[in-house]
Amino acid sequence: MIERDLAHRGIDTARTRGATYADVRFVRRQVEDTFVKNGHLDNVDRTDTFGFGVRVIADGAWGFAGSQMVTPDEVDRVAALAVEIAKASAIAKERDVVLAPLKPQTGTYRTKIEVDPFAVSFEDRVGLLIAADAAMRTVKGLRTTRANYEIWREDKLFASSEGADLEQTLYEAGCGISAEAVGDGELQIRSYPAAGGRTQNQAGWEFVTKWDLVAHAPRIAEEAVALLTAKPCPRDVRTTVVIGDAQLMLQVHESCGHPIELDRALGTEAAYAGTSFLTTDRLGSFRYGSDTVNIRIDSTTPGGLGTFGWDDEGVPASEGWAVKDGIFVGYLMSRETAAALGKTSNGTMRASGWGRLPLIRMTNVSLMPGDAGTLDDLIAETDDGIYMETNRSWSIDDRRLNFQFGTQIGWEIRGGKLGAMLRNPTYTGMTPEFWGSCDAVCSPTEWRMWGTPNCGKGQPGQVGHTGHGAAPARFRNVRVGVIR
Amino acid sequence: MSARLWTEAELRRICDLALQGTNGDQAEALVLASTNELTRFANNVIHQNVASREAVLRIRVVIGNRVGMVTTNDLGQEGIARAAKGASEVARAVPENPTFGGLPAARPIPPGPPAFVEATAAATPLDRAKRVQRLLRRARERKMTAAGYLSTSASEVAVASTEGIWAYAPSTLAAIETVVTGGAGTAWAERNATDLGKIDVDEVTREAIGKCAAAQGPRDLAPGTYEVVLEPYAGADIAQFLGSALTGQAVEEGRSFVGGKLGHKVTGDVTFVDDPYDPASVPLPFDFEGQPSQTVRLIEQGVARAVVYDSRTAFRTGSANTGHAVPANPFASASAMHLRIEPGNKTREQLIREVDRGVLVTRFHYTRWVHQLRTIVTGMTRDGTFLIEKGEIAHPVKNFRFTQSYHDALGGTLGVGTDLHLFAAGEFSFGARRVPAMRLAQFAFTGSTQY
Repeated sequence: MIERDLAHRGIDTARTRGATYADVRFVRRQVEDTFVKNGHLDNVDRTDTFGFGVRVIADGAWGFAGSQMVTPDEVDRVAALAVEIAKASAIAKERDVVLAPLKPQTGTYRTKIEVDPFAVSFEDRVGLLIAADAAMRTVKGLRTTRANYEIWREDKLFASSEGADLEQTLYEAGCGISAEAVGDGELQIRSYPAAGGRTQNQAGWEFVTKWDLVAHAPRIAEEAVALLTAKPCPRDVRTTVVIGDAQLMLQVHESCGHPIELDRALGTEAAYAGTSFLTTDRLGSFRYGSDTVNIRIDSTTPGGLGTFGWDDEGVPASEGWAVKDGIFVGYLMSRETAAALGKTSNGTMRASGWGRLPLIRMTNVSLMPGDAGTLDDLIAETDDGIYMETNRSWSIDDRRLNFQFGTQIGWEIRGGKLGAMLRNPTYTGMTPEFWGSCDAVCSPTEWRMWGTPNCGKGQPGQVGHTGHGAAPARFRNVRVGVIR
Repeated sequence: MSARLWTEAELRRICDLALQGTNGDQAEALVLASTNELTRFANNVIHQNVASREAVLRIRVVIGNRVGMVTTNDLGQEGIARAAKGASEVARAVPENPTFGGLPAARPIPPGPPAFVEATAAATPLDRAKRVQRLLRRARERKMTAAGYLSTSASEVAVASTEGIWAYAPSTLAAIETVVTGGAGTAWAERNATDLGKIDVDEVTREAIGKCAAAQGPRDLAPGTYEVVLEPYAGADIAQFLGSALTGQAVEEGRSFVGGKLGHKVTGDVTFVDDPYDPASVPLPFDFEGQPSQTVRLIEQGVARAVVYDSRTAFRTGSANTGHAVPANPFASASAMHLRIEPGNKTREQLIREVDRGVLVTRFHYTRWVHQLRTIVTGMTRDGTFLIEKGEIAHPVKNFRFTQSYHDALGGTLGVGTDLHLFAAGEFSFGARRVPAMRLAQFAFTGSTQY
C-alpha cells in the first residue's frame, strides 16, 4: 500500500527534523448526501476526499499539518512543517508533553454491515425518499417536506513512531424525514425518526430501511398540522416529565457526554466549547444523578457512531462507566490527558478528517436501560405530567450546568394516560438536579442506539459523529414552558 | 504571489478540465481552496498548533432540469475527469426537478476592494507563536489564565461555467479570540481583519485582562426582563440569526420574520445592509454561482425592505437574483454574507451612561432557535456580564439564560454604537458581519447559572 510507505516516510522525515514522536494518518472518505424537498430531488452530492495529517511532538510541544496532495515530496514538506510548528509551540510551553504509555497496536477493523449502501441502486435509494416525501404530502396543510439519507465509507491508515500500524474501514448510514406547517404566526415541525435531519448509525443500508420512513410519514405530517392549533405547553410550571429516547439521547450528549471530556475539565477547550462542572476532584465521589442513572462509555457497541477498532491516536476501543449508580466515575480521555491523571487512555481521540488534529470526542455515551418496562408502562404509572418527544431546540452553558431543551411535540399525561397534544414544549434545569430527579428508566426493550452526526468542537472547527443509546425516562419536579 | 495560494491560473486550469470532462446541457465548476493555520492556546500555553492546505472542486452538471453534483479533492487530471463523469452520470440518473431553472448566465462583475493581504498569507508559525506568547505572558503576570487562538488563512474561490462565467478572488483573514479567566470570573476579546498587521494583540490583551479583573466575584441577580447594553460580540449573534432569516428561501418556507412584511416596521431604528463591497469587511463581489453580488438594504430604520436571493430561489419565486448563493447545500441556498448593522451616534460608554438600571452583556453562548418564525432564541451570557446602575457598571453578575425574540428585542432599540466590529465566521453561516454595540429597552433573562 503506497499510503503505508508514505506514512513511514513522513515519520522518518519528522524524526530527522527533531520530532520525538510522530504519527501519520491517511483518510479516504466517500459520502453521498441526497435530499428530497417538496416532492422533488433537491440535492445530490457525492463527495470523495483523500489526504493525510502528520502529528508530532518536538521540543516537548505539539505540531500538526495536513495536506491532500499525496506525494513523497508533499509528505516531506508537511512532516517538516509539523515539526516547525511544534518548535514554535515550544516557545510558549510550561512543561513537555507526556503521553500515557501504550503498547504499539497493529491490526485491521471493519464495520459489520448487512447491505453495502453504495451497492444499493441509486434509483432505489432515491425512490425511498421520493415515496416517503409523497406519503407526507398526502396530508393537507404542509408548507415544506423533506427527506434525506447519507451513506458514508471511510478508510483510514494510522502509523506511529512507536510502531502502530492500523487499518480501519467504517461505514455509516442515516436517514430522516420532516414535515413543516405554517399558519397564524406559528411554524411547527415534526420529524422522524429523530431531529436534525436524520439519525445515523455505523451500519449498511439495512439501517435506513428498518425505520420504514414511508409508513411513518403520514403520522408526522398530521402531527405537524395539528400542532398549529394545539394547546400551548403550560408556562413556567414544575411538573413530572417523561422524555422519549430520541430526545433523551441529546440530553445525555449535552449534559453528560461533553462534561466528561477530560480536555474540557482540564481547561483546554475553555475558549470555545467551555470547561466542565465535573472537575477532577469530583471523580469517583460526585453525585451526578439518582441511583437509577447509569451512563456508559463504550466504543465497542455495534451500530454506534463512536464504534471502532482504535481511536485516532491508536488506542484500542474500550468500555467503562461514566456514571455508575448516580456517581460520576469516568472521563473520556486521550493519552496526554490521561497521563495528567496518572491513568491510561480509554481511546476517545478522533479527528473529523485528514486535515484536523484528533480531539477527545464522545464515542458512544449511553444512558443504560432500567426496569420501568415499556414507554406505555411508564406513562401508565405516571399520574400527572407531560410527555415530550423529538428535539427542536437545545442549549447549555459552558460548564454544562444550566440547560434548556425544546421538543417538537408534547402530550399531557393525566391519570396514566396521554391527553391533549401540546405545542412548543420546553424544559430547563441544572444538570445534577435534573439527573437527580430521574426516578425511572424504561427497560432494555425500549433502548435504542441513536447517532448525532453533527457534534461541533475544536478550533478550527470539527464536526464529530457520536453515538448515544437511551430509553425513555421519567424526571420529577422539572421546570417546563418558556414560550407559548 | 504568496506561496500559500493555489493561484488563479491553477484554479482556472482545474475548472477548465472539469468543464471539458462533463457531458450535459450545462456545467459549473466551483473551487474552494485555502491554507489555514491556527495557533491555539489554553492554560497559558500553546497546546494545539495546526496547518492544513486544502482545495475542493464541486462540479454541477445539468441535463434539462436534472442536476448532478460531485465534490472531490483529487485535483489531478484523472480525479477531475472522474468527478466530471460522475456528475454527468448523476444528472442523467436523477428525476426531473421542475423547480430548477438552470445555471445562471454570465453577468458583468464590478471589481471589488482587495481582500487579500500578503503579510497575512505569509505569516509563519513563529510569527503567530510570538504574538500569542506576549498575550500569555501578560495574563500570567496578572495571575490570570488565557485560552483562545490566533489564526491566519489564505482562501480562494473560483467559479466557471459553460454559460461563460469566470470569477476568481483571493482573500485573507487573521483572527484572534481569547477568554481570560481569573479566580472567579472570565472575560472575552476578539478581533478579525484581512490584515494581520491591523490586529493589535496588545489591545486585545488589555481589553480581556481589564474586563476579567472587573468580572471577578459575580453576584446573584434575579432573572427577569432588563434593559441591556450588548457589546458587539453579543450583537453579532443577533445579526447572524436575523440575517439567516433575511433570505428568499426563508420567506418561501414561511420561517422568516419579514415574510409578508416588506415595507412594514419589524424592528426599532436599526438598519441592516448586505454590502459585498464593504472594504472593512472581507469583500467578495460575486457569489458561489459566479453572479455579481448586489448591495441590498434589508432593513432600513426598522422597515423590512428586501431579502437576498440565489438563482434557484429567484427562479422558484419569480424574484430577481441578488447574487447571494452559497455553495449548493440543502439547508440554505442564499445568505447575507456581508451583513452590516449601520453605526449609530453613541459611543459604547455613552450607551452605558444612559442606562439607569440594566445589564451589560459581553457575549452570548450556545444560542439556538426556540421558534424561528418568531425569532425566539435561547442561549447563555458568558465572559463578562455586569449590572449597570445609574450609568455606571456596578458589579459583575452571574450568567443568565435568556429566551428572547431577537427582532422584538431590536424593537426596543434605544441606541446604537458608533464603532463596528468585524466578525468573520459564524457557527452556522458563511461570510462576515460588522456590528456595533446596542442599547435595547427589554431583554428576557429566563434563568441563571452558578457562576
